[in-house]
Amino acid sequence: MSLQEAFSPDGGLPAIIAALAICTLGGVLSTLVVLKRLAFIGQGISHAAFGGVGVALMVGLTGGSVASNTGQIAVVLGFSIAAALWIAHLAKKSSGGSDTAIGVVLSVSMAIGFILVQIASARFEQAHAGHDHSTTEMAGHEDAHHAIEEVLFGDILQVSWLGAIIAVAAMLLLLSSAWWMRRKLVLWGYDEPVCEAFGVDADKIRRVFFVLLAVSIVVAMQLAGVVLAAAIFVLPGASALNISGRLRPVVMISTVLAVLAAVGGLILGFSTGWPIGPCIVAVQGVVFGITLAARGVLR
Amino acid sequence: MPTTDQHPEPPPAIEINGVGFSYPPVGIRHQPVEALASISMSVLAGARLGILGPNGGGKSTLIRLILGTLTPSVGTVRVFGKKPAQAQADGLIGYLPQRIEAQRDWPISIRQAVGYPIACRLKPWQRMSAESCRAVDEAIALVGLGNLGDRTIGALSGGQLQRAMIARAIAGKPKLLVLDEPTVGVDIAGQQQFAELMNTLHTQLNLTTVIVTHDLRAIATVADRVACLSRTLHFHDDADGLSPQLLADVFAHDMAAAFGRVHVDAHLAEECNDPNHSSSDRCGHNDHNHGCGCDGGDQP
Repeated sequence: MSLQEAFSPDGGLPAIIAALAICTLGGVLSTLVVLKRLAFIGQGISHAAFGGVGVALMVGLTGGSVASNTGQIAVVLGFSIAAALWIAHLAKKSSGGSDTAIGVVLSVSMAIGFILVQIASARFEQAHAGHDHSTTEMAGHEDAHHAIEEVLFGDILQVSWLGAIIAVAAMLLLLSSAWWMRRKLVLWGYDEPVCEAFGVDADKIRRVFFVLLAVSIVVAMQLAGVVLAAAIFVLPGASALNISGRLRPVVMISTVLAVLAAVGGLILGFSTGWPIGPCIVAVQGVVFGITLAARGVLR
Repeated sequence: MPTTDQHPEPPPAIEINGVGFSYPPVGIRHQPVEALASISMSVLAGARLGILGPNGGGKSTLIRLILGTLTPSVGTVRVFGKKPAQAQADGLIGYLPQRIEAQRDWPISIRQAVGYPIACRLKPWQRMSAESCRAVDEAIALVGLGNLGDRTIGALSGGQLQRAMIARAIAGKPKLLVLDEPTVGVDIAGQQQFAELMNTLHTQLNLTTVIVTHDLRAIATVADRVACLSRTLHFHDDADGLSPQLLADVFAHDMAAAFGRVHVDAHLAEECNDPNHSSSDRCGHNDHNHGCGCDGGDQP
């Protein structure tokens, strides 16, 4: 797809809108993720989603129709939110507890997810075994291979207008929620143990924020997949903290850097044909490297 | 302090009646752990109370009951006549935690750190009033950090951070300030500065203060009264203050905790100081089964 085609409504425009919405969301939330040291928790939540993908495929929730995709997203969302709440519960007890929980959730979800995806694709092949056996088998393999790749690394070009609208709506809803509880989030973030004494329910804030993060990551999986989604919620915040030492500027710089990196990644992806999500994450990585090098000068 | 005027007496700052608290068992093979039993005390508004007790004696549990973050298994706790959670919600209680666990790598200024608990009480769309902002600045100035309000918390020394956290505790204009082990790990000079700060707060804000500690030095010059806590509490609401006898005896209790040989009953020591008790019949005993049990041994 050329850059001109990319901006056509029938071409990549929904993908561009969805990518920008997801990166804006990541820009804001990544600040808190980095400061509260939740980067690994983000990885745990996103990898838990892979178990959800496997289950969704097993119960037949796949295919081109919106209804089946919605069902698939619901299962994945359920898995991620359950993982987020479980990690939140263990994080309450001790930092070591959440660390182990993430390790368990991440690897077990990936293992079960991959097994279920293989079983589902084998079943799919059997069901579609037709006259021209060799061609079908090859196509089936490629389908399964592409499906797994899409789940792992995302494929934003598959996003329809409906998907783009959902991404924008999710961004607005999630950012509004974060704004609504911003002060409590900061108090929880910088001094969790005293929250109770100031009438702020730290457990509730933790659970709500983890659920916000889980939903955000599932939305971001369309762009960057299970493996890279969490990066979108880490890199901009980490870069911004290299530049500024004040909370409000950090949030603003993080958002601007996330959007700029998204634009850079989109241009790179569309002009080379490389996958968009990984391109955006790679550009965000380069931005982080530059800010890290400039840290001594800027701060 | 008893009043003689015609107005009804204001409720005491803290009123605790027959309170006991047990932590639930951690597993099926464990029993509930009784942390506090038969605690009754009354702290008048404006008083400065020190609560002394060994580690594991229930000090933090008592604080959590006063803050309303725990509910007593039996008995009642009232703070200015209200349930603690309500008093807390009304901003009547300020609190300094035992360990300052504020994350120093957060990019927030002292002014922000002090102001956030006040801001958390606002609706999301409300802004902090000019009055609240002034209260934050005044609190920062009062603890001696007046020229550092814009500095990030990561740039503060340990002592400065503690002062900032005290400013945070008083910025909401509470009537009761609860401090949990405020001088742990603080050197002699720091303790002296802390005492000066507490005296400043007392004279300027007329706060009721409760300092809970295992270290008598922390409260020697900043408390008018001392109670002794080790699962049960021994408390006298008289104004006699600390006597050299009590100071000596409780320091001996520290020795007992360290060496396990000396036994001194601070309860009796305090009763020696109580004019309602005859010194001849109550003092001088070293009865292990009597008194508040501050003998430094392993307590449940």
